[in-house]
Amino acid sequence: MSGWRGRSAVAVLAAVILPIMALAAAHAVRRDSGRATAWPGETTADTIAHGRFIVVTHDCNGCHGGIDPASDGWLAGETTPDMQFMIGPCYLTPGAKPCFHTHPRNLTPDNQTGLGRFTERQIFNALRYGLRPEETPDVTITSMTPGEGNFPLHPRYLAAPMPWMAWRFMPDGDLWSVAAYLKRGLKPVHNLVQESEGPPDFWASAYTPDKIGAYPGPAFPTKNEQAPN
Amino acid sequence: MHPLTLTWRGAVAAAIGAATVGLRAGPTTPAAPAKPAPVAATASDTLREPPTLHSVSRVPGVVEVELTAAPARLRLLPGGPLVNVYAYNGSIPGPTLDVHEGDSVVIHFHNRLPDTTTVHCHGLHFPAAEDGSPLMPIAPGQSYDYAFRVPRGWAGTYWYHPHVDRKTTFQVAMGLFGAIIIRAPHDPLAARHIPEKLLVLSDNRFDSAGAIAFPDPTSVQAEIDLENGREGNVLFVNGQVMPTIPIRRGQVQLWRIVNASASRVYRLSLTNQPLVHVGSDGGLFEHPLEEHDLLLANSGRVEVLVRGTGAAGSEAVLQDLPYDRYMPQTRPDDWDSTRTLLSLRATGTPMVRPVAIPTELRAIPPIDTTHVAAHRVIVMSQGLIDGKRMDMHRVDIRARLGTTEIWEIQNVVGMDHPFHLHGFHFQVLDRDGVSEPYRSWQDLINVPKHSSVRIVVHFDDFPGEWMYHCHILDHEDEGMMGILELTN
Repeated sequence: MSGWRGRSAVAVLAAVILPIMALAAAHAVRRDSGRATAWPGETTADTIAHGRFIVVTHDCNGCHGGIDPASDGWLAGETTPDMQFMIGPCYLTPGAKPCFHTHPRNLTPDNQTGLGRFTERQIFNALRYGLRPEETPDVTITSMTPGEGNFPLHPRYLAAPMPWMAWRFMPDGDLWSVAAYLKRGLKPVHNLVQESEGPPDFWASAYTPDKIGAYPGPAFPTKNEQAPN
Repeated sequence: MHPLTLTWRGAVAAAIGAATVGLRAGPTTPAAPAKPAPVAATASDTLREPPTLHSVSRVPGVVEVELTAAPARLRLLPGGPLVNVYAYNGSIPGPTLDVHEGDSVVIHFHNRLPDTTTVHCHGLHFPAAEDGSPLMPIAPGQSYDYAFRVPRGWAGTYWYHPHVDRKTTFQVAMGLFGAIIIRAPHDPLAARHIPEKLLVLSDNRFDSAGAIAFPDPTSVQAEIDLENGREGNVLFVNGQVMPTIPIRRGQVQLWRIVNASASRVYRLSLTNQPLVHVGSDGGLFEHPLEEHDLLLANSGRVEVLVRGTGAAGSEAVLQDLPYDRYMPQTRPDDWDSTRTLLSLRATGTPMVRPVAIPTELRAIPPIDTTHVAAHRVIVMSQGLIDGKRMDMHRVDIRARLGTTEIWEIQNVVGMDHPFHLHGFHFQVLDRDGVSEPYRSWQDLINVPKHSSVRIVVHFDDFPGEWMYHCHILDHEDEGMMGILELTN
């Protein structure tokens, strides 16, 4: 067992994910590129390398497996029970309800157990809008109002604690690069990960703009910020 | 406060909210018709079979029937009130179409509903124009003559139901379903005078007033229904709750069982004996199989033999054992409870001479795979096939008549999806690479969560557009469906 994986999920959230989200949010303010979701160009070796850079620097493997790209289980999803998360008050009070066990999924392009059967656009939509690829058609989304612009009337969101609500602020090209790396830059690994638990609305009432903020984010400077002299 | 903290709390709040949201009935039942036609349903009644459609034709080999879909008021729950329903010829289940291989059938259908509808004869092999698919809607007040010839080799148990764009769940829930029996000229079970019973399984959800309940479209229950398919809180056999089938000691009965539920999957088991499984969607197997329990996905059929084994007065129960087909997010709390469907009661009448169950039922030749025109992969995710929703103006698969194809149907998500192909029977080659241990004719195959099934199908006749889809009716309504176009 190496690194933080043996630690508690709360510790993980505090030590790893929160700073990343803060960084990502800061990044977004500088480079927010709006809502266009069309793939901007041809996938090249640079695209894959850039996707790999983002995956490594954003610690995707922190939840989804592996130490570095050369290690076993790189992004192949949960392989041991201590990679699970417990979401809900049960974390602090054993037995308290609700208690959702969530499972980092296999991000490799395996057809049956990974992302192999989902398109890069579905992965893009997962990273930008938090939408589960298995329930979101392979379409370009142009609105965030349910039922409009291909945004699902009944959106189903990725399980917590996937921090898509911060990473969505990455520019389109960055998200497309991540999708390209996952789909084309990785070898498939067959690893069936249990479906994450969650509320029956698939977190829809948790991921409303008043709770996760608006996308695109507010212009700089806000009331909490100042322009340097 | 950090956004994730908020999110986390919000998620918990959402879950708590979900737990407290009960069933909400929507005012979706249609206006009451003028003339009530009550049907009594009391627990522990002897099983009654649906009426049989009466043929008005006197020509041998021609079956000509009248079928009308209309609003009605029926008593669905034992001791319950008369409630607004849709019914075929005034009964739920609708009357049974009982025909022979080779018969020419004309169904004079009349739509007296306030809704567009169709009559889809599920599993039959006939011209595409007779399929009652969403491409051929029958408007309110309109009539249509479904005319076809019953093909040879198609003997078995089938059913009919609406297959209309986005409203199939609603119309089936309102009561529109009925059975079809196709008989062979040489039937090894009929030759032994084995008596048969038709069991049409359905479920429905009722509100506290006893009316058919649908959730408020904005409720959490609506989301759960969308995910699981709408399941009922009352289980019926031929519209009866927990009826009784009498059986004499030594007697063997053939049960033709249709799962007409919109989304409920049954894991059937009898408490005092294994089920002798003799047939599936497309009729008899080659040999009987003894099974402790068998899975009957929605819209599937099984034919089983049961024996009168108990002492006079003893009782066995046909059960629906727990089966986890669900996503964990929407798995019902009571998914692991065993439900009861009917009682098999040994009568005090003298024992009959035991009937030997034949070991050979019929021959099912394997579909020839020497020349396979196409190998296709069809991916079912949640509400989508190959990442797409149904578009009535889009052809998803083009194939040629006279060819054989192998389809690998992959389910890449954490709940089961039953896959149905219209118009053609297929054979299952393997499941997750494991060869199917016996041959059968299927029009439906349940594809369990994160698994794949390979089927082989031969397109011998009937050009046109044919549906393939998930038979959880809510998924079908949501567009988990594709169109196969067959051309010469």
